[in-house]
Amino acid sequence: MIPAGAWICLLAPLAGTLAITLCGTRISRVTAAWISTASVAVAFVGAIVAFAGLLGETPHKRSHLSTAWTWLEAGTFKAGLSVLVDPLSVFMMLIVSGVGMLIVLYSVGYMDGDDEERRYFAYMSFFVFSMLLLVQGGNLLILLAGWGLVGLSSYLLIGFWHERPVAVAAAKKAFIMNALGDATMALAFFVLILHGRSLDFGIAFATSSHLSSTAVNLVALGLLGGAVAKSAQIPLHTWLPDAMEGPTPVSALIHAATMVTAGVYLIARTHPIFEQARTIGLVAAGTGALTLLVAGLVALVQTDIKRVIAYSTMSQIGYMFLGAGLGAYANGEFHLMTHAFFKALLFMAAGLVIHALAGEQDIRNMQGIGRLMPRTRWAFLIGSLALVGLPPFAGFFSKDSIIAAAMGAHWYGWIFWVCALVGTFLTGLYTFRLYFIVFPGEPSPFVREHYDAHHGKEGPWTMTVPVGILAVLAVIGGWIQFAPLWTPVTTWLAPVARTLDIAEPTSWEEGISSALAVALGLAGVAVAWMLYAKRERAVPVVPTLQRALEHKFYFDELYDALFYRPSAAIAEWSRRGFEEPVVLAAGPELGDETQLVGRGVRRLQTGLIRTYVLALAGGLAVLAVVFLSVR
Amino acid sequence: MDASSLTDWLIWLPIGTAIVLWIVPFSRYWTGGLALLVSLLEVALWIEQAARFDFGTSGLQFETKAEWFKDLHVSYHIGFYGFSLWLAGLAVIVMAACIAYGFWVGRDRARAYFGSMLFLTGATVAVFAAQDLLFFYAAFEAMLIPLYVLIGVWGGPNRSHATLKFVIYTMAGSLFMLAAVIVLGLQQGTFDLVDGGTSTSRWIFLGFAVAFAVKSPLFGFHGWLPDAYREAPPEVTAALSGVIVKAGTYGFLRIAITKLPEPTAYFRTTLLAFGLASLIYGSLLAFRVRDVRGVIAYSSFAQSGLIVLGLFAGTDLAYDGAVLQMIAHGFVSAGLFLVAGAVERRTTTGDFALLGGMAKGRPALATVFMTLGILTLAVPGSANFAGEFLILAGLFQRHWAWAAAGATGIVLAAMYTLRLISAVLHEARGSTVADEALDLRPAELGVIVPLVACLLGLSIWPALVSHRSFARDRPTQTIGAQFK
Repeated sequence: MIPAGAWICLLAPLAGTLAITLCGTRISRVTAAWISTASVAVAFVGAIVAFAGLLGETPHKRSHLSTAWTWLEAGTFKAGLSVLVDPLSVFMMLIVSGVGMLIVLYSVGYMDGDDEERRYFAYMSFFVFSMLLLVQGGNLLILLAGWGLVGLSSYLLIGFWHERPVAVAAAKKAFIMNALGDATMALAFFVLILHGRSLDFGIAFATSSHLSSTAVNLVALGLLGGAVAKSAQIPLHTWLPDAMEGPTPVSALIHAATMVTAGVYLIARTHPIFEQARTIGLVAAGTGALTLLVAGLVALVQTDIKRVIAYSTMSQIGYMFLGAGLGAYANGEFHLMTHAFFKALLFMAAGLVIHALAGEQDIRNMQGIGRLMPRTRWAFLIGSLALVGLPPFAGFFSKDSIIAAAMGAHWYGWIFWVCALVGTFLTGLYTFRLYFIVFPGEPSPFVREHYDAHHGKEGPWTMTVPVGILAVLAVIGGWIQFAPLWTPVTTWLAPVARTLDIAEPTSWEEGISSALAVALGLAGVAVAWMLYAKRERAVPVVPTLQRALEHKFYFDELYDALFYRPSAAIAEWSRRGFEEPVVLAAGPELGDETQLVGRGVRRLQTGLIRTYVLALAGGLAVLAVVFLSVR
Repeated sequence: MDASSLTDWLIWLPIGTAIVLWIVPFSRYWTGGLALLVSLLEVALWIEQAARFDFGTSGLQFETKAEWFKDLHVSYHIGFYGFSLWLAGLAVIVMAACIAYGFWVGRDRARAYFGSMLFLTGATVAVFAAQDLLFFYAAFEAMLIPLYVLIGVWGGPNRSHATLKFVIYTMAGSLFMLAAVIVLGLQQGTFDLVDGGTSTSRWIFLGFAVAFAVKSPLFGFHGWLPDAYREAPPEVTAALSGVIVKAGTYGFLRIAITKLPEPTAYFRTTLLAFGLASLIYGSLLAFRVRDVRGVIAYSSFAQSGLIVLGLFAGTDLAYDGAVLQMIAHGFVSAGLFLVAGAVERRTTTGDFALLGGMAKGRPALATVFMTLGILTLAVPGSANFAGEFLILAGLFQRHWAWAAAGATGIVLAAMYTLRLISAVLHEARGSTVADEALDLRPAELGVIVPLVACLLGLSIWPALVSHRSFARDRPTQTIGAQFK
């Protein structure tokens, strides 16, 4: 029953992809859209079945490994094509298929009328399949397969509008940065294979406990490399803002709710390795703390509505990394869940605005749209409040526990704690900067001109209903846990990833962190209100800082100079300096040499058989003598 | 049909048909039809063989042995091991696709053309089945003759130059091999690969190594490759990169490594360095060249380097991975070259500057091209990934530094393949891409889709090849025992 649910959950979206691809133009676009939605809905049902099955069991028995067949076998190494159903994977399955279902449904309206709607929905189903493979994978190799396939679907969907060069470039960038993460993960796996001959979770974790500290640190570092690339954390974060070139529902599903949080899942899943390598765990936490600050700062100056939300996503994943790196796995996962709700909500509400304004994404042109789209305004406001983490919205319950978890962790814990609190101020500021610029006030002339009022409402039901459901979840989704009084999520995940004692805050720590976080978040909102809504103060201008922020701290320029240009130069030199003149000697500019070679070779071709035979026999004789004499 | 005579049929049916085609003046239509029929029959024969093959036992299967030169102990000795059976399967399937493509394109001088293609099929299978050094050499050379003709007659504008280079490189390599064959045979008192023992001569090893390095090709020995791959007709390039060059890596495994274990150990680092150089250099060039076939050609070159890395890592995982990679890369490069041919037929060019935007309105072409591209860059979960992963994991067991350096290939492959995909399919429409340029026709799909299907099947179950190439669980032991 439980494995059956899991397999149905995994395979239904794949079946959807195959059906849409193989039917091609024999089905209408709308049919393709509904096949995709239905396939993800079936996956959600499968996940619920698996969840219900696990609920009926005692906590320590909640782990089922189901192997279809041996996927890869070589020498004594063996890895099955298997799915693992345990509290952690079911938790992720529910989020992925549930939120996925809502976003695919939203796409039915959003993508309506696009030339290549069928391709879009085939990709979307394929993404959901890949993501489910990632979270359900019963060993590290299958996890890596899912890991690679989500990267692939992300590439396909970012570059969905492939006639736009920026979209193609963004897609390539995302794939290549993730390939870098795949490579470091593969190297980590090689260490485990070398010492333990297996990538099954249990054996790999047992292996890691016997490794030297250098080796286990390297394994954890390799895993962290994959996690950082996938979750767009510093230093492998630059692909995420560019990825906003994809359709908005893609941003909501892949680049907010599910795929980019896979790094957090990976740390939680492989936590025994990170616990052996505490240093690397703390590096993960530090990466998160750094990213949440940097991304929060950059978000302050962005003018593209989706990019602001993208930086906010990076920043929120920074919180999750902070929690997971410190050992508060359940808190990281809980924030992952609430973030999936409110961030998908924000993207989809933004999508409604973009949709209504015929593709406009610059927030400076959107002023006053709230007057025309009141329900969207409410949805966006709910999402923003949840993001800032004000009670009783979802973010309040999940984020504050992470902040509190930092307090217990030695002296460096305090640094993380301060970073996280500053982050809440930034979150309040950039979130409500966005809100106050876009929604309140009189609609600008641009909005009046471009607002597409033909529908007479804010969007088709396929778009507004998912937004409504997510708005409800962004309010109540956090109520399932209120640490330390009420902790079902932590309890549920405890059999797989028990929170480390050091990351278990006391009630006092929870209380003070919550109070400060809410106060700072409100302060951020207030500053945003003064600067952008009431315009009581001029927006401060610090040219140097502003320029640095607008250039996103020059990461793109740095990587271009450090990696891309040197490697392209080496490759170009190999071609022009070695391959063409030395190996090929046949480039057009080398015609003379070619002719010389040709003339020389021509002289060899006497056309006399006896010359050839003589040459062959002579060469053979010489070689035979050499070989026989020196053997 | 008797089990052991299946191998004979697999070799001599296409060669016999080729001779018939050369002699009897069939019409063009009948010639192509007959050739296609025979090539499909080959696939059926091979499937029959694979179904009967016992992967659990070591030793030669489907064996035929007949005396040839008795006093020299030269014999006509053929048969299959697990890994050679897979390579023979790759050969017959890819050759069937290439012959079908040639039939569809309607090559002129049909009798000569299809005769050559069938002869090539038989000779290639013979290379993978041969268990006698002289017969192996004869088959190895027999592959080249139809290739010279196929490139020289049906190739592109620069074909004579390409053919000449190809002849010089391969003949030079063969000469070294012939000497090595003779000396090894005389030294052992028999030319039989199964009966004979091992040798410690480093010179013999080098003789073989040069021939196989030209064929594979390896860095420094690859001068023939870019021109040959660009100038040959697309289906011949597909056969060449998919199947023929695998004779080089196969030779390393069956002869150099198996018969010469001590020199293999001695030259291990050298060969690994050559493999790594091929991998990285090939990948870098694939990232810079500006034409479709050039990228695929250099990518194939890089993959040969990876396979050699796997073979000379000398660990269980790497051996299994190398065989899997030979098969997976054979299918993917053959498929890509055939699609490249389809692109060239529509646009008359492979130049990136003149291409682009072909995905728009051509869903079948876009899907097939994208799928093959994604498999080439070895996306995790694919058969090509499984092969690469095993090779690098095995290499890691030799020394971590080799694997770390080899892992850069993962990133480089993504870089050059995505560049290829977007240059052909995406962004603005190229100046040679006419609106009326058609999507892939059903016949083209019929040729290419089976190759893609083989790859997807292998991606779902790569253990089919990786675990059924060497009889024992430990390939190192199997090879150490010379497959006995």
